[in-house]
Amino acid sequence: MMLLLTAALLPRLFWDAGPETAPQLQQAGVEKIAVAADRVASWKGLMEVDAADPAHAIRLVAPSVDYRANQATASRAPWINANGWRFLRAPAGEFVYDVKGAQAALAAAEAFSWNANALIRTDAAGLGPLGEMLRLLRGVPAEDLAPVADFGFEDDGSTAAGEVMNLFVKGNLLFRIVPRPEPSLKIHVKLGTKDYPLEDAKNPVKIAQMARANLSDDRRSVRIYGSAVVVARLMAVPDRARLHLLNYAGAERRVDGIRIRVAGEYSKATVLPEMKILDFEKVDGGTEFTLPEIRTYAVVDLVK
Amino acid sequence: MRQQKKRRRFIAPQDVVGIKVNCSGAPQIFSAPEVAGAIAEKLVAVGVPAANIWLYERFESQVRTVPYAEFLPAGAQIWTAETTRGSILGYDPKVYVETSFFGEDDTRSNLARLITDKLTKIINVPNTKEHQASGVTGCLKNIAYGNFSNVARSHQYEVTNTKTFIGTLAATEPVRSRVVLNVMDGLRGVWHQGPFSNEARFRFYPKILMLGTDPVAMDRQLIELIEAKRKAEGAVSIFERARTTLGNNRDPNKNAFIREPGHVEYAGKLGLGVYDLDRIRVKEIEL
Repeated sequence: MMLLLTAALLPRLFWDAGPETAPQLQQAGVEKIAVAADRVASWKGLMEVDAADPAHAIRLVAPSVDYRANQATASRAPWINANGWRFLRAPAGEFVYDVKGAQAALAAAEAFSWNANALIRTDAAGLGPLGEMLRLLRGVPAEDLAPVADFGFEDDGSTAAGEVMNLFVKGNLLFRIVPRPEPSLKIHVKLGTKDYPLEDAKNPVKIAQMARANLSDDRRSVRIYGSAVVVARLMAVPDRARLHLLNYAGAERRVDGIRIRVAGEYSKATVLPEMKILDFEKVDGGTEFTLPEIRTYAVVDLVK
Repeated sequence: MRQQKKRRRFIAPQDVVGIKVNCSGAPQIFSAPEVAGAIAEKLVAVGVPAANIWLYERFESQVRTVPYAEFLPAGAQIWTAETTRGSILGYDPKVYVETSFFGEDDTRSNLARLITDKLTKIINVPNTKEHQASGVTGCLKNIAYGNFSNVARSHQYEVTNTKTFIGTLAATEPVRSRVVLNVMDGLRGVWHQGPFSNEARFRFYPKILMLGTDPVAMDRQLIELIEAKRKAEGAVSIFERARTTLGNNRDPNKNAFIREPGHVEYAGKLGLGVYDLDRIRVKEIEL
């Protein structure tokens, strides 16, 4: 299994304004930017800079939550706009966010969690939140950890498969894309099979629920209690794990209290941003603890 | 002296006592602060220190609309589980009922920390209200949905899971054994659109206080009360299950849910009390 250096990739601000704005960026906490190739020279000596072309990058949605409380829906769960499945489908891709204000911080945290090569284009209001988040992310110690997956999914590249993966990610159902069944994984999901008929894929929620049922909640590597808007990304090796937690409503409101269960018995946990971890306990082959809040992002390191 | 002895059947001076009010319809309808205050006074009279009396409810935003503090003895506490709506910090992470109704990812309903950490006895003070999902909301629902987190998930759609969930929660320890007395505040009631009371025309005034140790028997009386009022108003029974009654509940013959007043009988089958009217003894005192 390939291990990833999880602190290796920090998202970069793609900046259209001229070099006269360098002090503004530095004050916000942005240390490195990307600009159009023909502008690199004008930034030399002012701050770390490299060339990028967002036009050729894969466009991402602005990470957020649509509550749509005034609309009839098939589900009362808030609709999370997330990009995890896009990163999984194109792990070597270059991505670009167009985000405003506090969404820039969430975009940076999301890309970081998925170790994605991402550019972030934002407005003046986004610089402060982005800089603050980049400062936090720079403080996350480098770790060689592998993404945890409970099941495999055969991605046929279709829109339906993409949406199913999106629902897996948002539902904290940990999977990896595989070309064929892998014995090390608990279940295998492939659209068009007896267990997951193509007809059912017209309603991707149904497929996601069927996969969840076949996997069973007891065998899931991570569970989130107390919020419907927090998405987890778990990385691990046998003796330690790292849990990225993204609050997709973070641009508007923090989550006050979240209970987490991770499979495996860990003895110690540390969290960034620093806060007191509550009610930590090993229970039934797992580890449970409560974080008093998540503003936009938190990362928990667990050691056995 | 005799009265004090009777009260001590339920409460001892060393108890830490919770008064579980119902504010889900506040500020229009709620457990009357006068009633809660009188209960607290009697607790002090049997020797419970005021500091060991905790009036509590789940949502601070609702409780702060009711002037309970004015009616409680000095030193008594007011506590809410959710100082911000949706926060889990006021609940005990180790005591929960786990189930999935509609594929929701958060499958736990946790018990309020106040109960697991502090209270040794609870006096349950519900209102006399119809409930759009469960049919009525009286003793059982106040002690079940009023003490656990993440319960609205049971009634997200027309067909709900309130029938079994209410009794299941109410039968969970330590709630079950700590509720020693129910005082149903029927000074005001709601016969439609409950548990809220946004339209005054659906409010009514039974002018009763119902006391008892059996939440099922008392809720059975509540069903009779609500049914009689609805019949008098020409509204369909809360037992009506025809889908034709689904609709905008500004019309008292319409409702957003198929109501589940059967949750009271179901709770009886869990051993929480007596549902059969023939086996319920009611003693009326007119003032």
